[in-house]
Amino acid sequence: MASKTGPSGNGRVINHIRVLRAAQHGMTQGDLAKRVGVSRQTLNAIEGGKYAPSLEVAFKIARQLGRPLAEVFEFVES
Amino acid sequence: MLPSFEERSVWVQLVGLGLALGGYFASAGPMLAAGVMHMAPYIAVFAVCLVLLIVVQIVGHIAAALLGGTDDSDERDRLIGWKAEARSSWVLGLGVFGAIGSLAFGIEGVWVANGLLLALFLSEMLKLALQAVSYRRGV
Repeated sequence: MASKTGPSGNGRVINHIRVLRAAQHGMTQGDLAKRVGVSRQTLNAIEGGKYAPSLEVAFKIARQLGRPLAEVFEFVES
Repeated sequence: MLPSFEERSVWVQLVGLGLALGGYFASAGPMLAAGVMHMAPYIAVFAVCLVLLIVVQIVGHIAAALLGGTDDSDERDRLIGWKAEARSSWVLGLGVFGAIGSLAFGIEGVWVANGLLLALFLSEMLKLALQAVSYRRGV
C-alpha cells in the first residue's frame, strides 16, 4: 500500500516502504530504522505519510531496501 | 506504539514547567495584587519553584527512560523543535517589548520582571505544546 508523505504544491509524495520492507524477508520497522539511523517512530511516521524525510534519509531507506529511490518514493500529480 | 524518548521528554518538560512556573505565578499573582513590591519574596518563591522544576525534570526523564528506553534525536525531532520554536518565539518578543515599554512608563521593576518571566513561561509552554501536537499530527 502506498502512503502519502506530505503535501506539496500540485501533488504529493507517496512511498512504498511498507511493501518493500515486507519483501525484504519481513524486515521490521525497527530493523530498517536502526540501519537508516532514525527512530522507529520516525520511520513509522514516514510510512504513514505523517513526515516527509530529507533526501539523505530517503536515499538511505532506498539503499537499505535495495531499490532505486524512484521505486521507493514517487511524486504523484494531483 | 510507544512514543519516542524525545516525545516523552517533551511531555515531561511540559508538565514540569506547567507545575513549577504555574505554581510560581499562582503564588506571585496574589502577592502582586496585594502590592508586594520587594523582590526578595518573589525570588524566594521562584527558588522553590526552580528546585521543583529540576526535581520533576530529573524524575520525569528517568521514568521516561525506564518506560521505553532512550534513543538519540533524529531529523524529525529537530524539525519539530525548530518549527515549534519559530511559531512560539513571538510571545517572548512581545514580552520583551512590553517590558521595555513598561520601563519607559515608569512601571515598578517587580511588575516588569514578572511580566518578562510570564512571557518566557508562555513562550516555552506554547513551544512544547506545539511540539506535542506535531508529534501526533505529523510535520
